[in-house]
Amino acid sequence: MQQFLSPRTLCLRVAVTAVMLVAVMLLCALVGPERISLRTALAGINGSALPNPDYEILVHIRVPRVVLAAIVGAALAAAGVALQALLRNPLADPYILGISSGAGLGATLAIVGGFSWTLWGRSPVAVFAFAGALGTVWLVWVIGRITGKFHVTGLLLAGVVVNAFFSAVIMFLISMARGQQLHATMFWLMGNMAEEDFFVLWIGAGCVMAGVVSLYFLAPQLNAISFNPVDARSMGIHVERVQLLVFIVSAFVTAIAVSLSGLVGFVGLVVPHAVRLMLGPDHRQLLPIASICGAMFLVVADTAARVIVAPAQLPVGVVTAIVGGPFFLVLLVRYNRKVSWLR
Amino acid sequence: MKKWWILLVAFAVWIGLGCILLPPEHAGSAFERRPSHAPTRIVSMAPSLTEILFSLELEENIVGVTQDSDYPPAAAEKRAVGTFWQPNIEAVIALKPDLVVTLDLEQHRNMTDRLTRMGYKCLSLDILTVADLFTAMPVVAAATDRTQQASQVLSNIQTRIATIREATTGRGRVRVLWVVQRDPLRVAGRNTFINEMIELAGGENAIGPTFHVYPPIGGEQVIASAPDVIIEPDMIGGDLAGQRVQALSYWGRYPTVPAVANGRIHVIDGSLVSRLGPRLGEAVEMIAKYLRPEVFGE
Repeated sequence: MQQFLSPRTLCLRVAVTAVMLVAVMLLCALVGPERISLRTALAGINGSALPNPDYEILVHIRVPRVVLAAIVGAALAAAGVALQALLRNPLADPYILGISSGAGLGATLAIVGGFSWTLWGRSPVAVFAFAGALGTVWLVWVIGRITGKFHVTGLLLAGVVVNAFFSAVIMFLISMARGQQLHATMFWLMGNMAEEDFFVLWIGAGCVMAGVVSLYFLAPQLNAISFNPVDARSMGIHVERVQLLVFIVSAFVTAIAVSLSGLVGFVGLVVPHAVRLMLGPDHRQLLPIASICGAMFLVVADTAARVIVAPAQLPVGVVTAIVGGPFFLVLLVRYNRKVSWLR
Repeated sequence: MKKWWILLVAFAVWIGLGCILLPPEHAGSAFERRPSHAPTRIVSMAPSLTEILFSLELEENIVGVTQDSDYPPAAAEKRAVGTFWQPNIEAVIALKPDLVVTLDLEQHRNMTDRLTRMGYKCLSLDILTVADLFTAMPVVAAATDRTQQASQVLSNIQTRIATIREATTGRGRVRVLWVVQRDPLRVAGRNTFINEMIELAGGENAIGPTFHVYPPIGGEQVIASAPDVIIEPDMIGGDLAGQRVQALSYWGRYPTVPAVANGRIHVIDGSLVSRLGPRLGEAVEMIAKYLRPEVFGE
């Protein structure tokens, strides 16, 4: 295992994975249920007045969707890394503190309520999901605070309780929904990618990148805290402040991802572990590389979701869970063997 | 501390750039193509819409339908553009449509939005009740230049319904339990178009007003509602006689319910009664036959 991480190695690795990400995104944009010709599509960029379905499919349907998958994947993987370190729990993922159920409750309310306004180009479902996610995190934080001064266990328990309670409310709402609302809700809860405007993608990408960079700035402190909070404190790190910052940033980034795509599972759990197993637990490296790999993973998964049952499509959460579940099990077995062998 | 400021400034610049380069209202706006003539390449995004378009004699102008569009039989031969629940926007665009007809539901809203902004002409219809159907038909007709056909279809429905109304006035209402799902038991509530069809056919929903649209009920409500007839629409498209045998054995556990005691349990073709479309008249006639075999029976 790498003992020392030089800035050069880090830059090189980030650059290599970033190039891979771009290649994967280009490749995936060319794959889809409809066969399109790249030459015809590129000819449409000049803006000829003739209808050019190839160009429209590539530029207005596939590219936005691939970019959306990359943004969401990066956000979830980064939040996963941060929360695993913060809670010092390998099972932590971006949804562990109740974000999923809060966002789900918001989305379900919006769907069952049948609103039809838009806020800055976002649908009520996205707005409610975002508000629900942040509201829940705040609630969990407050409950965690009451149970003890930033006790990780208190936070986790608060997350579990809030999750269970909100899930019950979601179930109640679903039980009274109409058939079509029910379907919309289920697809949202399984992670549903849709084509978004470039403006929305631009803002989303900006927020997620800012979040990842902020977490990267906090990586040295995260390294110390994930090792031992008491030692970190004696090293002069403001543990509570760092914890609060990481908590806020990862909640924010997850809320953005969730409001863009619904609940895509497993990315935030599997990708951080996979990268950690391959490259070691240093968060300065783990954060950027895991977010790039998360983006790659979700782009590929979403392409599979678009293609496997074409002309219909699957919710992307189904693909990530089917691929991610077994993959995670394999990793777990290998990880345990490695640990016992080291002992 | 300096790096945080740099991050903040970079973020602000990024957002500002986005607002300047990609203002939301211009995003994805392709070229306008709003034809002045009646559309010749129509895509239907729901089975009920396909039926409506076919009833307006637009068969030759329809280029794509959803996979679940199986009526009229000619619809199944059209190009599939995904399912009603999961529309495939790429397939829609590949067909170069000049009119896309969608339902105003959550599944379709995003797609309709997107297509409209790309310059495609979309017609989004809200058809949840019988009255909605009567408002929507003229709208489709106006968009496709088929006003005469639409009024024919609607008057045909009205005639059929009027005949049934005449034959059933003065008679008591038949209590109907409309079972959408047996396990767990779920029935059609009052706030559905199925309820409207039951009432048009001279019946009455055995279940009173409920909180749920399709209320899940228990055995107690089955007995208390005392339905004269139990109707189960078949949603899987299989053999109706075989399903009726199963239904009879299931409902055998409530021998005191009038429908069970008199063997008035029917499994009917689901596609006819689950779509609000031009076959509404036929659907109501079929229900009426089961409610009053003595009046409408063969």
